[in-house]
Amino acid sequence: MYTLKHVTKLYQKGRRAVPAVRDLSLVIEDGEWLAVQGRTGHGKSTLLNLLGGLDLPTEGSIELDGQDLAQLRDVQLGRLRAQSIGFIFQTFNLVQTLSAADNVEAALVPLGVGTAERRRRVALALESVGLADRARHLPSELSGGQQQRVAIARALVKEPRVLLADEPTGNLDEDTRNEIIKLLESLWMDRGLTMILVTHDSAVARRAQRIGVMTKGRFSIRQDTRRRITT
Amino acid sequence: MFFLRYLRCELRSRARQAVVIALGLALGVGLVVTVMAASSGVQQAQAGVVKGLYGVGTDVTVTKPPPPNPDHAGGIKITGGAGGVNACTVGGSCSSGAQTIDNLTSPANGPIGYSSVGKVSGLHEVTAAAGGLNLSDTQITIPADIGSGGGGSMPQPKSFTVTGVDLAHQQLGPLSNGTISSGRGFRAADASADDAVVDSNYATANRLKAGSTITIAKHAFTVIGIVTQPQGSNPPEVYIPLARAQALGTSAGKSLKNDVNTIYVTAASAADIPAVQHEVSALLPKATVTTPSSLAGEVSGSLSSTAKLAGDLGRWLSVLVLIAAFVVAALLTLAAISRRVREFGTLKALGWRSRRIIAQVIGESAAMGLLGAAVGIGLGFAGAAIIDAIAPSLSATLTSPTGQQMQTFGPSGAQTSSPTLAHTVAVPWHAPVSPGAIGLAVILAILGGLLAGTAGSWRIAQLRPADALTRVA
Repeated sequence: MYTLKHVTKLYQKGRRAVPAVRDLSLVIEDGEWLAVQGRTGHGKSTLLNLLGGLDLPTEGSIELDGQDLAQLRDVQLGRLRAQSIGFIFQTFNLVQTLSAADNVEAALVPLGVGTAERRRRVALALESVGLADRARHLPSELSGGQQQRVAIARALVKEPRVLLADEPTGNLDEDTRNEIIKLLESLWMDRGLTMILVTHDSAVARRAQRIGVMTKGRFSIRQDTRRRITT
Repeated sequence: MFFLRYLRCELRSRARQAVVIALGLALGVGLVVTVMAASSGVQQAQAGVVKGLYGVGTDVTVTKPPPPNPDHAGGIKITGGAGGVNACTVGGSCSSGAQTIDNLTSPANGPIGYSSVGKVSGLHEVTAAAGGLNLSDTQITIPADIGSGGGGSMPQPKSFTVTGVDLAHQQLGPLSNGTISSGRGFRAADASADDAVVDSNYATANRLKAGSTITIAKHAFTVIGIVTQPQGSNPPEVYIPLARAQALGTSAGKSLKNDVNTIYVTAASAADIPAVQHEVSALLPKATVTTPSSLAGEVSGSLSSTAKLAGDLGRWLSVLVLIAAFVVAALLTLAAISRRVREFGTLKALGWRSRRIIAQVIGESAAMGLLGAAVGIGLGFAGAAIIDAIAPSLSATLTSPTGQQMQTFGPSGAQTSSPTLAHTVAVPWHAPVSPGAIGLAVILAILGGLLAGTAGSWRIAQLRPADALTRVA
């Protein structure tokens, strides 16, 4: 699925180049769940942005199914995100003026799906996260956990192959956190998703197959349980 | 449709800002509509005044400048003093003692041979042509004691306008615009009669009616009819047969027999007017060929001032308000987009193309523009209604020289004057809102909205999703 070779990402701060990711090489397999941990400002979110094609590396290459993301034009990257990559954010990032159903439908707009099919898929997606009865509610009328469920439905409604989640439980209380992680885990297993999840929470990270740690832009694998799970 | 649903939700959630932007645009648009309506009303009033001068159906008028007259031939020289008053016509005779001088002259225009009328009517694009004599009758009553012993002041002339009407072509010229309200109009048999038709306003002011007598060039004319011209026009005061005007009138001391000083021309169509102007200029190289609309510039008074005000101040005020509205709309849209960076970054992360997001923003701005147009048109109609309700009637003044040069000599020295004739008419002022003004209003408001949207779109195009999401984080 993902092959990262010597990826470096530098940000310019005035005249100074600040490295956010340094010489990262990594292979992420199809259907794998990788958790990325690390302290704030050590490059976790930058790595997620690079994997999602939201940002491009300064050096090195990131291949998704053999396609180098750095070589794709903006339009192609947009199409790739629309078709294959779902995002979940810590702050949910729902459009506050749209209902839960409309927020989910927004993910299908760039795919050119017909109206009837869109409605069907939106209803299914909301049902799969247990919010079928909240379709017409605005985000402000939903709890934090419900908003994150809407965000998960939005990420999954297009049936992506990759799910990138940036601190998906960071804004939730413990009970809701467990609820959301259980949901993500079941969706990952049911749908065969490749899931890369950035989290501070070790309890959440421990559920992943592999745990990687970002320290000052350098990535290292701390735990790999893939063989154990598959056996 | 998702586009419209999203648009409606956004506008509803930002209703206050949308209303502010729409009202700003509406104010500018409303002002433009009002100014256009006022300006259109003034133009119509001007056209009415000019039409009153030259009648219905006259597309082109032909005149000649008066001939040079350095010796003031035909002028009157009045001398007074101990020997008594003495009045001399320059280049003519003198008479002494108290007396009344009554001259019918062509002060503003030079003579054109009557045969030219036939030549003009024979031109290809000309439907009809008629000659006329626009004259001024000036009467001066000189007392016997002017200048003697320091007493007596310069006598003031009384003038009125007289038009010689070609009775064979009454459908052209100023009389064609009026309605006989009393008595009768001219007949072919009146060609050599001392008959006059008098304008109703002049008749009222001078207590004239059908059957009254009026003196023109020391000749008594019988008033056979009273003509009423449309309100706001500035017609001649007395009409007489062309042949009588030719017989009695002078220009620079010379008789106007076999002359006219204005030719009224009807072109085959409005599109032919430039060609007719060109052909007449070629036929009569020394003539001045004008259209009634170009004569509007000669109108002065509050009508002229208002036309200038509507044309200059009104136009610039509208432009300034529109620019201000556009800038406010653009700034508010930019501010709104700054607040929606997270939203647009998320949409880009979902795979939305910049073009799609820009279309959404421009759609929202255009909707605000449409709202602004609707309200602006309403404000424009209200502004026009207010003008109709409270605006005073305007006055139009046309000044023409009498051609008289008067000199008086006495103990206090020589005094010279050239009296002029000023005709002032009240012109009603209406402010009609035309479909063109409404169309322009809609275009301007949508343009304002699109400009605002475009300003915002530039920000969106610059927006990198990772930056937007990082900023949120």
